[in-house]
Amino acid sequence: MQKVSTNSSGLVLRLPMWRSRVVLFLMFIGFVALLARAFWVQGPGNDFYEAKGNKVKRLQELPAVRGKILDRNGEILATSLEAKAIIAFPEDVPDDLSAQKIQQLAKLLQMSEGELRKKLGESRNQVFLRRQVSPELAKKVKELEIAGIGTTNEYRRFYPEGEAMAHIVGFTNVNDKGQEGMEYARESELAGKPGSRRVIIDRLGRVVEDLGDYQAPSNGKDLQLSIDSKIQSIAFDELKEAVSRHKAKAGGVVVLDAQNGEILALANWPTYNPNERAALSGEQLRNRVLTDTFEPGSTMKPFTIGLALEKGIVTPNTMMTIGHFQVGTKNITDTHPYGSLTVAQIIQKSSNIGTSRIAMQMAPQEMWEMYQSLGLGQAPKIGFPGAVAGRLRPYEKWAKIDQATMSYGYGLSASLFQLARAYTIFARDGELVPVSITKVSTPPVGTRVISAKTAIEVREMLETVTNPGGTAIKAQVSGYRVGGKTGTAHKSMGKGGYASNKYDGFFVGIAPISAPRIVVAVVIDEPTVGGHYGGDVAAPVFSAVTNATLRSLNIPPDGAMKDLVLNNNAPTTQRVSLSR
Amino acid sequence: MNRAVVILILALLSCALMLVSSQQRVRLLFAEMNRLELKERKLNQDWLRLEYEQRDLSKTSRILDSARKQLHMSEPRQDRTKYIKAD
Repeated sequence: MQKVSTNSSGLVLRLPMWRSRVVLFLMFIGFVALLARAFWVQGPGNDFYEAKGNKVKRLQELPAVRGKILDRNGEILATSLEAKAIIAFPEDVPDDLSAQKIQQLAKLLQMSEGELRKKLGESRNQVFLRRQVSPELAKKVKELEIAGIGTTNEYRRFYPEGEAMAHIVGFTNVNDKGQEGMEYARESELAGKPGSRRVIIDRLGRVVEDLGDYQAPSNGKDLQLSIDSKIQSIAFDELKEAVSRHKAKAGGVVVLDAQNGEILALANWPTYNPNERAALSGEQLRNRVLTDTFEPGSTMKPFTIGLALEKGIVTPNTMMTIGHFQVGTKNITDTHPYGSLTVAQIIQKSSNIGTSRIAMQMAPQEMWEMYQSLGLGQAPKIGFPGAVAGRLRPYEKWAKIDQATMSYGYGLSASLFQLARAYTIFARDGELVPVSITKVSTPPVGTRVISAKTAIEVREMLETVTNPGGTAIKAQVSGYRVGGKTGTAHKSMGKGGYASNKYDGFFVGIAPISAPRIVVAVVIDEPTVGGHYGGDVAAPVFSAVTNATLRSLNIPPDGAMKDLVLNNNAPTTQRVSLSR
Repeated sequence: MNRAVVILILALLSCALMLVSSQQRVRLLFAEMNRLELKERKLNQDWLRLEYEQRDLSKTSRILDSARKQLHMSEPRQDRTKYIKAD
């Protein structure tokens, strides 16, 4: 450099001063322009750029999983599986989107083009185009690569037990909110809390950068019920079979564990499939066992007799003259005429007259207090939506005839569930147990209603009901001693009195008699063929469900092996061994 | 004086470059984390789905149905069952 400059020193150009000034001035102008621009961008023109920036910034929701519902053995009754939602950001969807793409998208989403265009034209930040679709469909939509159309993860509820468990578990809506059953009752525990984070996304909705502001999602808690899905499944099948065999309108079964008050099974017919609930009617949705009340009929007699035994009015062997009985102007009637019966036989033969005769020796208040302490007239506290209280009028308003009819179960009403619970007093030596639909860890404390002696006496009477001469031979279970009470009630038509040809057939029983473990209650509503007596329609269901339940609970037989009315095609053999 | 300036300039430059490279690394790691999170969720979902399928295949009604119809089995009669005690 030096060399060159030395050699050419004579040629050094003297440039005019103004030229450097011009350059300097131009540079100055350039900087001023830059400054002005910077000022504009950060000051008055800021809104435009902020809007542009916000377009790529999104608050991304991080989904939380809803808790599972499990049965007592941890088997799944309801679980959430991933599904996709097709979502549109209308302002990002190009206005000149080709008709072909719209057509393709509409076809995938199974909606009309007009409908799709309307949704894309909405002036909202984001619009759900379709919810709870399969991941495969979501992938196809993504492959169309339309700007402003994306997918988000969400969950769909699946119910493996389907219709057998529908009334207990219930279901959720598309927003994952519980609508019925336990899904509704325990919504706050089951629901998860979705988290969120602020992110930058690219044109196709992919996350490029996290801007912090992270809120972790918290998943919902699992809920373990007391239901045994095996017993439930068998109870449901038997009920369904019986309802169709007798061409009945409806039916219900409930199985209670008398030791800890857990509900082992609770089945209803008609029912619905919670996995496909496009068209559901109230008839299907109703959990009849808990929400429908009926007059319990003869199933009330053991309580009346139990009270009389407790008060020392009669003993099981007291001989009663039956004959004809008139209260006021009304005749009390029996299906068969009896001359005289012992108190135990009144239960075995289900005599209305005998029960009324005993009841008329008691004060209405005593009877009312007994029914009240059995939980009648009060909704059971089991944390289930819609459980009803039934009707038990105050004793001050009872007329003489009311007292007589109530002793055999007319003039008051209860749900099948209340009735099953009331029977725990015979299974637990006189104690009424609190019931639970969730698994119980410590055995609950019962409240004493009658003495253990009375409970055992009634229990023995209940056993005779299932023996020859009783009203429910079909309730027998091979190898086990069982007992219970039939009920056949004319259906009340409200103010119009009773329907002469519409019945409810019941059976409520306990097993095994030597050390009671379960209470099973069955109702068949309006049976039309194959009889209508509780002993014909409900007792066989009791037998099948009790057999399956006792086996499932590993309870050794306590009775003699004998051929049953229902099972007489195989040879009888001696019992091999019995552990005690 | 001059040396100090040169050192500071070098330090400044290297800091600037490091900032750029660490920013790049953050992006890469974030992308990786995202990918792994997605994978975790996918695996969790697979597990839930398999658990559901297993349950669906092993439910009582299905077992009873197959046992009765395909295998022609029936429940053991009570009098042909031998009961033993665990202890």
